Amino acid sequence: MNKKQISLSVCALFAAGAVQAAPLKVALVETLSGPQASTGLLYRTAIKYELDRINAAGGWNGAPIAVAEYDNQGGTAGASDKVKAAIAEGAQIIIQGSSSAVAGQITEDVRKHNLRNPGKEVLYLNMGGEALELTGEKCHFYHFRFTTNAIMRIKTLVPAMKEAKALGTKVYAMNQNYSWGMDVDKAIKDNAAAGGYAVVESTLHDVNKIQDFAPYVAKIKASGADSVLTGNWSNDLLLLMKATRAAGLTADFGTVFLDQPGNIGNAGETALGHYVSHTYNVEANKESEKFGNDYKAKTGHYPAYVEPQTIFGMQMLAVALKGTKPAGDGINVTELAKNLEKAKITGPMGDVTMRAADHQVQLPMVVSKVDKGAKFKVDGTDMGFKVVKTFSAADAANPVQASCNMQRPS
Amino acid sequence: MEFFTVSLINGTIYGLLLFMVSAGLTLIFGMMGVLNFAHTSFYMIGAYLAYSLQKVVGFWPAIIIAPIIVGFLGVVVERFFLRRVHKYGHAHELLVTFGLSFIIAELIKLFFGNYPVNYQVPASLNFAAFQLFGTNYPFYRVMMGGISLLMFGLIFLLLSRTRVGIVVRSAIYRPKMAEALGHNVPLVFMGVFGVGAGLAGLAGAVAGAFYTTNPNMALELGVLVFVVVVIGGLGSLEGAMVASILIGLISSFAVGVDLTAADLLAYVGAGNWAQQVGGLLTLKVSSLAATIPFALMLLVLLVRPSGLMGEKE
Repeated sequence: MNKKQISLSVCALFAAGAVQAAPLKVALVETLSGPQASTGLLYRTAIKYELDRINAAGGWNGAPIAVAEYDNQGGTAGASDKVKAAIAEGAQIIIQGSSSAVAGQITEDVRKHNLRNPGKEVLYLNMGGEALELTGEKCHFYHFRFTTNAIMRIKTLVPAMKEAKALGTKVYAMNQNYSWGMDVDKAIKDNAAAGGYAVVESTLHDVNKIQDFAPYVAKIKASGADSVLTGNWSNDLLLLMKATRAAGLTADFGTVFLDQPGNIGNAGETALGHYVSHTYNVEANKESEKFGNDYKAKTGHYPAYVEPQTIFGMQMLAVALKGTKPAGDGINVTELAKNLEKAKITGPMGDVTMRAADHQVQLPMVVSKVDKGAKFKVDGTDMGFKVVKTFSAADAANPVQASCNMQRPS
Repeated sequence: MEFFTVSLINGTIYGLLLFMVSAGLTLIFGMMGVLNFAHTSFYMIGAYLAYSLQKVVGFWPAIIIAPIIVGFLGVVVERFFLRRVHKYGHAHELLVTFGLSFIIAELIKLFFGNYPVNYQVPASLNFAAFQLFGTNYPFYRVMMGGISLLMFGLIFLLLSRTRVGIVVRSAIYRPKMAEALGHNVPLVFMGVFGVGAGLAGLAGAVAGAFYTTNPNMALELGVLVFVVVVIGGLGSLEGAMVASILIGLISSFAVGVDLTAADLLAYVGAGNWAQQVGGLLTLKVSSLAATIPFALMLLVLLVRPSGLMGEKE
């Protein structure tokens, strides 16, 4: 080979490179340090699990999908900076989950970026921000929510608990005083007629500031409530449950985030008999067991808390990517978003689809109860989540909010 | 009546718990002038140590051994970190302890994971102390209050009635003179810091089982403990006790008060107007229960900057 031939082949290589589209870049803007990191790291585990599978299957357009991690440190300001940095570094898809407040910031940042940079849009995949406004006032074409919301959670929790005769006729609504807690509070009141109960009292309290829930337990007791419905998570849920049982109150709890790792371990027997509405239970059926075992083989634990919906969301992304051809030197994000609206997967719990009107995922739900008879134990205890009732995606769905006014690209 | 009695007991015992955690902090500040940011980190270490130990040696030995180990850790911190920066003044001491609190939190996550651990009240102590208007009152809560009172009594007597107390106090006010009299002042400082840390460790070992033992527990209590010390008066043990009980009672009673500013305005005929304005005016007192201590701190700082029982500055 002489010099001329070499330079020719080098030129050919460059030419080939120019035709070949740039690899797709995904930015994970998540809480990876600080007090809320425990949840952020779960999102990372779930996203990496599914991205590894996508890349093993050939990635997108023959090249593996590149992932970059950005630590938003749990705050909106950090998230905003990191979204800018991610876009500047070529990311076309932003993924985030923990905290509705951060989700609200990112969705607005992405919306504004897309307005100002037509043709260079980025996509925001919201894996865990459950505040209703994200698919309400703030809904826009480049935001997709892969998790549930307060209405879906309470709508499933109430009939399941009613059937199990755990609801009673007097319900106490106990929630955290911010967008999420208010959404749950409203959903509990809205479901009163369907559930055949009266909300005897509703309390909104400071988030993660209360150490001593004994005064609230005195209130619950005074109200004569048969059961407590709560959207509380993390320490606020644990302390509330422990204080209630320590006082000898037997009211059953209907919860949303009881399956967060560590909760059952720390609460111990106190958690027995409490209910949780979630998107996946490993012992629901054969498929869910298979899915759970594969996840455990790769990550060391069964998917729980925020992980299942995140994996389903990534699977829908994989479907949408398959149907999106490279355009120019990269992916056409608008095209991808349109395909994502049509994406449908058959998950272990049933069919999961995306609703085009507000980009709220439609997925099956399951209500479970903490029981010693559960097949899969959690947190090294002798307790686990036993399936009480499963709901199809249609049964769990909440209507599109009137406040969502989505501008669709032509 | 029921509301009053229940709130009174709940508030008092929560206050006593707050005192248990802040006693060491106020001791260290009062005696050494070191504002120890890592104080609640020692509280957290105490809880985690007791959790690990109780699996091996049982609950009671664990809550005795854990504080001793934490106290020893405190001694190490004083000897090898704080003493080195002491000559540069308060800001450096504060920064060292601030950094330390982050390192401890990360270390805890490294060893025990990100989630709460299975530290619970042992079954033998999990019973009702008495019945109160038909509700059980947990024995463990009463026990925590008792331990706190015992702690207050012991520290108070130690400082005011014993020879050790005289030496400690003289080492603080006249270090040169105490040294000239043959007392080892650095050793006294090291001891005070160790005891302060150990007290936090004890509080953690006892309260960790009742509340939750998780990597954020230091952070959650950290600010509140400073509020206690500021309201009570920097360095005043009695002040810390009064402030703790005050905060405990206020937050306990506030939970039961569903009044809003609009309700008050209704008395002067502006109720409807207030309801329409909404916002702050329709916020229930109960939903602010955890914020009131901070408002109280601001008030104290404005009216009496040295705190309720602090010495004049």
